[in-house]
Amino acid sequence: MDIQLISFVVSGLFVIMGLYGVFFIDNIIKKIISLSIIGNGVNLLLISIGYKSGGFVPIKLPSVSMDVFIGNMAYPLPQALVLTNIVIGASMLAIMLSLSIVFYKKYRTLKSSVILKDD
Amino acid sequence: MNLLPLIVVFPLIMAIILNYLYKNRFVKLLTVITLLLILIFPLVSIYGTYYFAGHGIVDGFVSGISYIYNPTKMIMVFILMLIGSLTLITSLGEKINGLTVALILLGLGSVSAIVLSDDLFNVYVFYEIAAVAQAGLVMSSGTENAYKAGFKYLIIGTLAGSLLLFGIGLLLAGTGTLNITDMHHYLANIESPSYGIYGGLLMMIIGLAYGSGLPPFHTVKANVYSEAEPYLAGILQTFSKFVLIAMIIIMFKIFGGLSYFATSQGVLIGLSIFAMVFGVVMALLQSDYKKLLSYHAISQVGYVSVGLALGTPLGIVAGIFHGINNVIYKTALFLGAHIVSKKASSDLSKIGGLLPVMPVVAFMILCAKLAISGVPPFNGFQSKLLLAESAMKANMPELTLIMIIVSIGTFVSMMKAFYLIFLKPCPDERLEEYKNIKISKYSIFSLTILTLLCILLGLYPDIVVNTIMPFAKDIGSQLVIK
Repeated sequence: MDIQLISFVVSGLFVIMGLYGVFFIDNIIKKIISLSIIGNGVNLLLISIGYKSGGFVPIKLPSVSMDVFIGNMAYPLPQALVLTNIVIGASMLAIMLSLSIVFYKKYRTLKSSVILKDD
Repeated sequence: MNLLPLIVVFPLIMAIILNYLYKNRFVKLLTVITLLLILIFPLVSIYGTYYFAGHGIVDGFVSGISYIYNPTKMIMVFILMLIGSLTLITSLGEKINGLTVALILLGLGSVSAIVLSDDLFNVYVFYEIAAVAQAGLVMSSGTENAYKAGFKYLIIGTLAGSLLLFGIGLLLAGTGTLNITDMHHYLANIESPSYGIYGGLLMMIIGLAYGSGLPPFHTVKANVYSEAEPYLAGILQTFSKFVLIAMIIIMFKIFGGLSYFATSQGVLIGLSIFAMVFGVVMALLQSDYKKLLSYHAISQVGYVSVGLALGTPLGIVAGIFHGINNVIYKTALFLGAHIVSKKASSDLSKIGGLLPVMPVVAFMILCAKLAISGVPPFNGFQSKLLLAESAMKANMPELTLIMIIVSIGTFVSMMKAFYLIFLKPCPDERLEEYKNIKISKYSIFSLTILTLLCILLGLYPDIVVNTIMPFAKDIGSQLVIK
């Protein structure tokens, strides 16, 4: 089967699983993990856009002629985007996890129905 | 001299420096220098298209990131920086620390990048930075509820940001480029787009709704505004309004004139009507002044986006002009709330009789209240008139009707709040207490500038309208639906 199509479908499944986790699981750590899964699904989508069957790494080596290189290289733009998105995702994860430590110290529970309840 | 990159880069650099200084004695000095400089950069930058990090235009396509600077963006960035500077001036009178100033600057830099950028991925990066900055600003008030509001905002922000990036990925897969202008040229020249483009459009609407506080994210946003310190709530809602305007303009630039975009315009108009009506109904029910103002901020988002979503040149002008007016009077109102809650409290049932204590401040707050209700000669009247006119010309008189009814609701709740704060009788000993509390001169200075701007733009709306008109005609003319 087409590898690109399979990875598109898998990335969609990741996003749907993550959305389920964010909305229906009553635990802030699990919610944060779900958000991370959504982020990974999006990364997978981006990286599979640039996929090319039998393609090269998009780095021009002196031994490869320019025509062959342009004809066979993978699309490099999505790879740059994924790299940036991993950094953003890691920093968001760090902020949210540190906040959940603060909440756990205060409430002694991780249940979001207790922590995030409106007064 | 080319100073355009400094509009974005300078606040970010100062944010890093001020963050490390934290409670150093140089923080105040650096803040003053920064707020003067960020006001100058938008005025002295030269109009044009700028290319960064790439090889300029290769084979007709833009490689790297491009920024576009024109008179409309100049006005938007200048007003954003002006509100930011006034917030920084107000913060000089409070217990200032480097972190709060850094977060304000982070927000200013990232929102101005969203306004200027012509590259979708760049928009996404700064969108996430703006979300973190806003959550941080809410939490800087330090109360338990503020932490909760900030945490919720971050969770939903990460979700909406990921979905926005998913949409950007779909658009990239469909068109092969991230540059907004190139994307429009590609989409305008193909027969029928792939399904991914529709998905990308939907995800962009979700990202836009989160960034601006349109439904279904309105309660999160209202919660954020009401839990933040009132003078910081002013800058928070300024960020939301400019993100809204910038993102809708981006959508028009990509999809403008395409037949399937008309449906999205209908969706946006529906969302904005819901926001307008919901905001004002919830505001009428509130007994806390901060919450009342927060729900009005949601209601005003509806006004701005209804004008922009109409898509006619007049509608776009009205939307942008109302957005600019709205951040001015709304920030004035939040500053007023800051002064009132310093003097007494923000609970409307516990205060009253403040008029003899601070008559000048009361007059300025009244001006802002009249401006938000759309009473002449203030700026709110001019832009609401333009909005009503554009809805009539777009053949939607029912929209005008809804706008007028919502305006009446706004007027009622604002006058209720004015009576309860300033006119309701109050025991004499409590008035003596109020008189002894000092208000910082800085916040009154900011409030004065904003009130003067309200009157200036109300008397001479052409300053802004004539500048925006060519840009709006440029975007709006693409919207002739075949």
